[in-house]
Amino acid sequence: MSDIKAQTQPDSSSHENPQLVTPSLWQLMIAFLKIGVTSFGGASRPMMHRESVEANKWLSDRDFIAGFALAQVLPGANPVNLALYVGLRARGVPGAAIAVLGMVLPAFCVILLMGYAYRELIVYPATHFVLAGVAGAGVAATIATGVKMATKLDRNWMTLIIALAVFFAVGVLHISMTPVVIIAIPASLAAAWFTDKDLRHG
Amino acid sequence: MDDNRLLGLILVFAPLSILSFGGGQAIIADMQHQTVDVWGWLSANQFSDLFAISRAAPGPSTLIAALIGYQIAGFAGSIIATLAIYIPSSIVVYYATSWWQNHPDSRLKRSFERGLGPVAIGLLFAGALAIIESGPISWLMMINLAICTAILYFTKFSPYKLVGSVALVFLALNMIGL
Repeated sequence: MSDIKAQTQPDSSSHENPQLVTPSLWQLMIAFLKIGVTSFGGASRPMMHRESVEANKWLSDRDFIAGFALAQVLPGANPVNLALYVGLRARGVPGAAIAVLGMVLPAFCVILLMGYAYRELIVYPATHFVLAGVAGAGVAATIATGVKMATKLDRNWMTLIIALAVFFAVGVLHISMTPVVIIAIPASLAAAWFTDKDLRHG
Repeated sequence: MDDNRLLGLILVFAPLSILSFGGGQAIIADMQHQTVDVWGWLSANQFSDLFAISRAAPGPSTLIAALIGYQIAGFAGSIIATLAIYIPSSIVVYYATSWWQNHPDSRLKRSFERGLGPVAIGLLFAGALAIIESGPISWLMMINLAICTAILYFTKFSPYKLVGSVALVFLALNMIGL
């Protein structure tokens, strides 16, 4: 544990920017509460970049970009993962916990209020009707994201087969996700490994 | 009874946390399957409602766990479900961060970046299908879905504004008795 913490904590000698600042946990908490509140519209990444790189110099630009890529690849919500990464780099495990807490707490309070309102309003038939429409808009967002992501995938048979097989198994056959993913992820990683194009260029 | 529900919430959300590649949207199908079919905590309609609320709410899509937890087991349920959805994936991020920095082998990293994509997209569309199936299926809903998808795909219209607009349109439709 301790050596991981040492590696992930800021070490000014390993950065190009020697003027990095180590924040107090309180400063981290305030910054991420601010990001949590102001990123309600979904713009958490630019906000986090401004707070952690531009304004406060907790980590270098390059580290932030690496964290962003990592946050996308790993399981979990991307903005929460990125907050965890920034907190971890700035102040180790306590910093990570505080950054995630600050990031999630404002939205958590709002969603609880909405959950409470739902319990009160569900007696009216209009509630379910309106929410069915909103669910449609939510599904539309999922489909639009999915199509945009799909156009960026490698164009080969393996990619298509894996995506369709996963969709069919989980979506149509309702097979539990865990066994599907346990088979599909290694297969997909292997396919990506053996079709790695940059290898030929050296 | 309530203790069983809290334990159940952990059993459902902790594994999903580790599988939530690309965020909350990838695990919607299994979340629906578990909470509606396997554990019987929610009706399909309720799940569709909670999904709608989570999309209208600010914050990461994984926070639907808090909403489901609240609906099933009150305030304690919302806390337990939120911890269960964030802690396992956070532990993975914690270890991966140090591993990532100590392994400059870019072929392996590229394989991860490229290889997880098809799986995440398959799961994403499975989630979309699960929500469509759990709501009312009518011409109105299909037209709504088609128009919203087209707007979000072809324009830069904000999803939050779209959700608000759709809510107002459906409220108006309800008033005129559609």
